[in-house]
Formats: sequence, structure tokens, C-alpha cells
Amino acid sequence: MRQVDVVIVGASLAASAAAKRLVDAGLETVILEKQKLPRHKICSGILSPRGHRFLIENFGALPRKVLHEPTSCKGVTFHFPSMLSMSMDFFGGPTPHLHRKYADHWAIEQSHAEVMDDTSFLSQQQDEHGVLVTARKKGGEAFTLKAKYLIGADGPVSPVLRSLYPTYHKDIPMFFVGQKFHEIIDCPLDEGYFHFWFHPDLGHYTWSHARDGRQIVGVGYKVGQKFHERHAYVAKYFEEKHGVKLKPADADHEGCSENFGPSLINRYVFGKGRVLITGQATGFLNMIGEGMSCALHSGAIAGESIVDGMLHNQAVQPIYRQNIASEVRRTTDQWNPLKIAFAKPHEADFPKALMAMPLKDRLILLKDIWHFVKLYKEFKWGRQLATLSVQRLLRGDYSQNNWL
Amino acid sequence: MRISSLPKDVVAEDSLQGIPRQQTNPTRWQGEQWHDFVQALQDAGIAIRDKHFQTGVYITDAGGLAHGLPHGVVVATSAEHIANLMQLAQQFEVPVTTRGGGLTTEGESVAFGGVLLDMTGMSRVLSIDKDALIVRTQAGIFWHHLAETLRRDGLDYLSAPLNLTSSVGGTLGVGGIDVNSSKHGCSADQVLSLQVVTPTGEIVECSDAENSALFERVILGYGQFGIITEATLKIRPYTPLRMHYFYYSSLRPCVEDLLMLDQSQSCDYTGMLTMMDSAITLLVAFDSEERETAFMAYYQERLRGYGELGFALRLAANFSWRPWKWKEALFLLQRKRELFPDLEPAHHIQDGQMYDRAAVFSKAVWKHWGDRQMVIPDLATNADKIVAVVERGNAVCRKYFPYYTLYCVGIRLRDEHQSHYELSSIPSDAKGFAYGCEFEPMYHGQVYSRDSLQSFKNEIYDVGVDLETSYYRFGGMMKGYIRQALGDDVVEKHLKLKQAADPAMILNRDVIF
Repeated sequence: MRQVDVVIVGASLAASAAAKRLVDAGLETVILEKQKLPRHKICSGILSPRGHRFLIENFGALPRKVLHEPTSCKGVTFHFPSMLSMSMDFFGGPTPHLHRKYADHWAIEQSHAEVMDDTSFLSQQQDEHGVLVTARKKGGEAFTLKAKYLIGADGPVSPVLRSLYPTYHKDIPMFFVGQKFHEIIDCPLDEGYFHFWFHPDLGHYTWSHARDGRQIVGVGYKVGQKFHERHAYVAKYFEEKHGVKLKPADADHEGCSENFGPSLINRYVFGKGRVLITGQATGFLNMIGEGMSCALHSGAIAGESIVDGMLHNQAVQPIYRQNIASEVRRTTDQWNPLKIAFAKPHEADFPKALMAMPLKDRLILLKDIWHFVKLYKEFKWGRQLATLSVQRLLRGDYSQNNWL
Repeated sequence: MRISSLPKDVVAEDSLQGIPRQQTNPTRWQGEQWHDFVQALQDAGIAIRDKHFQTGVYITDAGGLAHGLPHGVVVATSAEHIANLMQLAQQFEVPVTTRGGGLTTEGESVAFGGVLLDMTGMSRVLSIDKDALIVRTQAGIFWHHLAETLRRDGLDYLSAPLNLTSSVGGTLGVGGIDVNSSKHGCSADQVLSLQVVTPTGEIVECSDAENSALFERVILGYGQFGIITEATLKIRPYTPLRMHYFYYSSLRPCVEDLLMLDQSQSCDYTGMLTMMDSAITLLVAFDSEERETAFMAYYQERLRGYGELGFALRLAANFSWRPWKWKEALFLLQRKRELFPDLEPAHHIQDGQMYDRAAVFSKAVWKHWGDRQMVIPDLATNADKIVAVVERGNAVCRKYFPYYTLYCVGIRLRDEHQSHYELSSIPSDAKGFAYGCEFEPMYHGQVYSRDSLQSFKNEIYDVGVDLETSYYRFGGMMKGYIRQALGDDVVEKHLKLKQAADPAMILNRDVIF
């Protein structure tokens, strides 16, 4: 049986960041990816400035092939049912519009970890010395790797997480996000920005932006509703209200499940013993639904925690949890109403954009936001969020008791 | 016209504030030629340590943010030994990273694969000329060891970093600041001549008179143009120290007073050290009674700082009407109780004078400021910008940490050394004096990830981008800023020189280029 230092499941940005830290420290690291690389990935591809910086600092200048057209995004524009709009530029300038298929593969290659693609993770079993990881190459026999640590960087429906907590994904609300691509007839939406709608009728998460000459119409909602109906409704709304004239959607539409709640209510999952969960599998998601920068940073923290654990001969889980606290603060702060009002937790200046509007518009807009937030009432997050805000104010941190 | 050899930012010209950022966590060298290289080393009689337990101790530096494992470690024994190593490393294109005390904070002495050359094997003082006040020493020696040797003859170095387990060679390669830098300049200014092993393995003696071009590049050159193996330094007679502290409740007047004192050259030692941003210490000290008396007669009353008692009363009054700040008051009391005895330990004080500041300061620094990781981003500026730098850097610290220290000193610039400063941290717009301010968190039992500490450092460095300053700790993880501070012309010029001097680009690569 082959013995390695660390096995990472998933070949995403989180995996590349973890792999980078591990390989630099001289640890033998193997990445298991169920698809053949480079693989397609559903994503808006709009990265935050923090994530952009991380990519450059750790993997070097971005090559052109890892970007879509337009290559950059200046910021976000919010639209409201009252037909008010507000645009905010990202702090520090435009950010990359990543082509995830190539961006992820590039980052993985730059990490210099060994990759086994077309290989699915099947199960893991840990004892005090290590983790036995069973996997199977497509069409081949199952095989086992003996690793000192296992990192699950395998996304919102993480099989590694499921191997630790089989019922986890049933216990949290899961959302579906899907996007369709349209040839453009006429689109007045500024292609330099990512557009987001605070509109309760449109759904929990509604967005649009330009990509490679087409316009994306994206919808997000609680699992159980019909994608095509929701999409048709949103596309019609865009046409009627914003004058967005699009041809019928092309055939290459796509969608995936998202775990959207844990960042709001500080219920992250970080693993058990020698198995670490990282990236979006933990529940990290920024407020505009951007998970890539959290993935990069949490992945790096998972990697550095293993290096620290081995260096100091200490259990890795407590180290990981101490180290990840900063990322928890950063991410949950973005949902914390007190922080939104009085600090600047986001990478664009929401309060400034708001204050630049006339008072009357501001009031209308806040009312619109309130109606939108009520859409989330059924998840009963409000009281938890309020408690967390006070907790953060009083003790300067979020409790770790809720983490799995 | 574009001069930069860096790839164009394909995202957008103004991304990340338009700073041409570079990969600062270098890609690990993959070791293709390693086995042949090791064989060649063995044939040449050079011992290499390549077991994990031997290389693992070099995995990080004092900064603790960059982690990289070398393929093997060579402990330096002589210039000839290093020259042999460098010739083979050029031939096999194996990266060589030099390390003295490992007190870098940006990963400069961390090897992302390849050979780590441990210079501490060369740590002897070779000769002392008491009449000419000159010492010749091997460069892997630590400053405290050099100080001990000099003390036997009643002598002292001019200036050395407060962390005395840094090596002489490493310090000369980057600068080195001390509380007397406002009088003597940076540590690298005391060098008269050097023995250097070039990246291609030649042993060359150089100074301002002999091989001056190499000398200019090696001094403050971040280890790019050669490995310093021996150094001849100017020294001085040893003097005990007459210390005084003044206390301030805000940063601006303290920094302004520091500037005023440096301009006047009325003190032999000056520096600003904060306990909190509302409790700031201005340290002044003197080598002689005459200097002390002259200062007390004229400058003392011109300072806006308070004495210890006056400041304590002021603080007490301040906290009494802001009782919710009791935690800060407790912190200051605790700090005073712990710190002050160590800054003036009875066994080092005689007749009100401190004997051996080297021992006292270096111990106090490690005990009260050095933590698990030395995270000390800094900004270097001319005299005009230092107040703004201190205030804005302080705001960043406050955002990240409940407790932190700012350490600010002036550095006298030597006109005759202008040519040494070209690719250094000395701000090009500084005249007469440069100022450096370090921003150091105190962790207070709290654990921070490397990742979050790096974010803190980036934010400090971004203040520098905004205010167009330089940085004392160029190197490694912040090399993305060097072009911003020095301009593409200077960096490209030196890159060309580097490519000519080090064809395989193996010596301390990834540090600034």
C-alpha cells in the first residue's frame, strides 16, 4: 500500500492552496479528482480582490487562458424592485473573471502536487496514526492510500464531509443555483459589473453578467423548485424592467447545489481528527456568493495547519480551528449587520454607495432590502445572526462551539 | 514605454491598485538534477545533510510565514568550500539559499528546495586592530558573539540590529538598524571591506577602493551578487550608556520630537517605542556625561514628553473618566511591571549608567517583543512622510490586534555611501536622514494563522504604496512592492547585472527579482 503524507480530495482552488503549502514544506501530497483535468466547473468566475492577490502571490501572474471575456470585473451593481440601482467598485481595482476550468487546473499545476484525476474518493478510515483513503480510478479497481492526513476540498456536497457526518447535508438547507447563456440582442447592463437583484419574487439569488460575448442569466433558490420556470421568469423580468433583449438560451445551461447558510450562522464544518474539511465544503461563502477567495484562504490555512501540526508534533484539529478563526471572522462579518453598518467587512464600499444616494431613495432601498431579507425568514437565521452580532461585539470573536 | 520584464497583468491595468505584483511564495524547485549534483558534491568532498530531520529545522525563518524545505543543507566551513559549492551549483543549476541567524521575516532565508547554505559554520573573529579601530571577522558570526569578543579589549561595534542572533553577513546584506543609527547610519555603513564568493564561485576581496562595483552591489544587496564570507568593520571604544525616557500620549508629537532631536544631533541614541498608541516612549541616551549635560540644559525642556511620574498622573486622570478602558490600564500596569526591570536590570547598571546595552536590549527585545513569529512589517520614508506613515500604520495595527508595538528610528545617510544605497531599502527621496517604522503585533496568547498575519502585513505595505515610501524589509514575500518603491528602471538595471553575475540565477533567487 502506498504511503503518502497528505491526500487532498478535489482539484479546486482550495485544494491548490492547501497543496501549495504542503508541497513547499516538502510533504508528499496527492490530489484525487473524480473528473479528468482540466474539468468544467460551474461558477460565475468573479473573484474578489483578496482572492486575486492570493493567486498572484502564490502562483504567479495569471495567464490569459484562465480568464473569460471580459477579463475583469470592476465591481457589483445592486438592483431593487423599486428600480433603483447602485454600483460599487471593488477596493483596489478590477478583479479577474476566472475561467474555472483552466484557472483551477493552472493553480493545481503551479502547486506541483501529484494529481490522480478521473479518480473518485470512496471512503476513509482513520486511526491515531493516519487515514486509510480508498479511491477508484474510472473503470479500474479500488485502491487504498495510507496518508497521515486527509483534506476534503470537494465542494458543497463534499463526499469527504459525508463520510464523517452522513446526515449533514440533509440537516442544512441546500440551495440550487443555475445559469443559462444567451446571445445578446441588446443589453443595457454595464458589462464591467456583476449584477445582483434584491428582489423577493425573482428568487434567493439572482444575477447576471457578460461572458465571452453572451449574457448569463442566473437564478438561485431553495432546492425543490423548477430551474427552467424560474429562469424563464427572471429572463422575462430582465426584458420588461431593464430592457435586456436576449435570444433564447443556448443548450449549455448548468446548475449545482450550494450550502449557503453556515457562513451566516457560524455553523462551519472543519472535520474530525486527521481529516480536515476546507473550502466551500466547510460552508464559507462571501456575501455576493463568492466562495473562491474563502476557498483559497481556508485551503492555505488547512495546509499550514498540517505543516504546523507535524512540525510541533501536535494534533492538527485544534491547530486548524485556532488558525481558521480569522477566516471565520472575515466571512461571518460580511453577514453581520453591525459590521455591515459600522465597519467595512466587504471588498466594496456599500455604506458609501448608500450614503451617496438622496435620503428618499435610501429609505426606499432599505425597505426593498428588508422585503428581500424576509424571503429567508423560513430558515430562522435572524435571531441567530443577531446573537452572533452581539457576541462578536462583546467578545471580539465568534464562538467555536457551533462548529462541527 | 514598458521597461518591466514582468508579464503584463492580463486582468486589467489598474488591478490591485496597479502594483505589478509578483509571486511571493515561490514555486518549489522540483529537484530534477539533484542526484547528479549530490554525487558531484560528494566527489568534491563537500558534505551535504539531506535527511528530513536535518533539513526540517530550516523550514522557516524568524518571520514564520514562509515555509520551505531545502533538499539539502551545507554548513559553510571556508570561502574555498563555498566557492566549490557555487561552481557546482551553477553547473547543475541548483538554487542556493544562504542563511545566517535566520532572522529574516519575509522568507529570504527559507529555501524553497535546493541547497540551504548555513553560514554559521564560519563564525570566528579573525583579527582586531585596537589602534586603527578595525575588526576582521568571518561573516557567519552572530553580533552578540562579536560584541563579547570586542568587549574583552574595551571595544564595541558601531551599530547592530537589536536582535543580536542575526549574523554579520546577513545584516550587511540588508542594512541593519539600531537606536544609534541616527548617529552612525545603518549597520552596513560600518563596513570597510568584504571577502565575497561570487555566484559563479570566485573569491573576491572588495571595498570602495578595490572591486568597488561588486562592493556596491553586495552591500545592502539582499544576497543577490555574492556570499559575504569575511568582513572588515570599523569599531569604536566601548562606552556605557546614560539612558532617559520621555513619555507621550499621542504619536505625532513624539515622532516630531524624534525628528527634531535627530536633526540637532544632540543625542547619541534615539528611538520611539510604543506600549500602546496612547502610551509612547521616546528613548534618548548618551555616550558621555558632557553630551548628557548639554542635552539636559538645552533640549530637555523643548521636548513635549513627560517624565514617568507626570505621565502616570496624566494617564490616571485619563482613565478615571473613561472607566470602560480599564483593560488598557491593566495592560499598561502589567507591561510596566514586566518590562521596566528588564530594560534597567540592576546587574547591568552602575552609577546610573547601563553597561552593555547589547546584552540588555537584545534580551528585553526577545522576551517582550519577540513572539512565536516575528511579524514586523515596516515602512521606510524620508523625514517629511514619517508622521503620516506612523499614524496610518498604527490604524492598520489597531484594526488587526488589541496590542502591538511601533518602533521608529532615524537612520543617518552617509553622502559618501550613496552608491551603496541604490537597490536598497533607503528611500531614494530621503536626504540627510531616512526613517524606519516597524509595526509589531503582540499576540497575547491569541493564535493567528499565517494567512491572517500575511493579510496584516499586506495592509501595512499598501500604506507604503499609497504614500510612496520604501520598505526596510524588502525581500521574499514582499518583493511585489520593490518595483513600486524603486521604479522599474532601477530594478531592471539590477536584474540585468544579476543575470550577468549569476547566469543560472541560483543564488538567493526569489528574494527580490
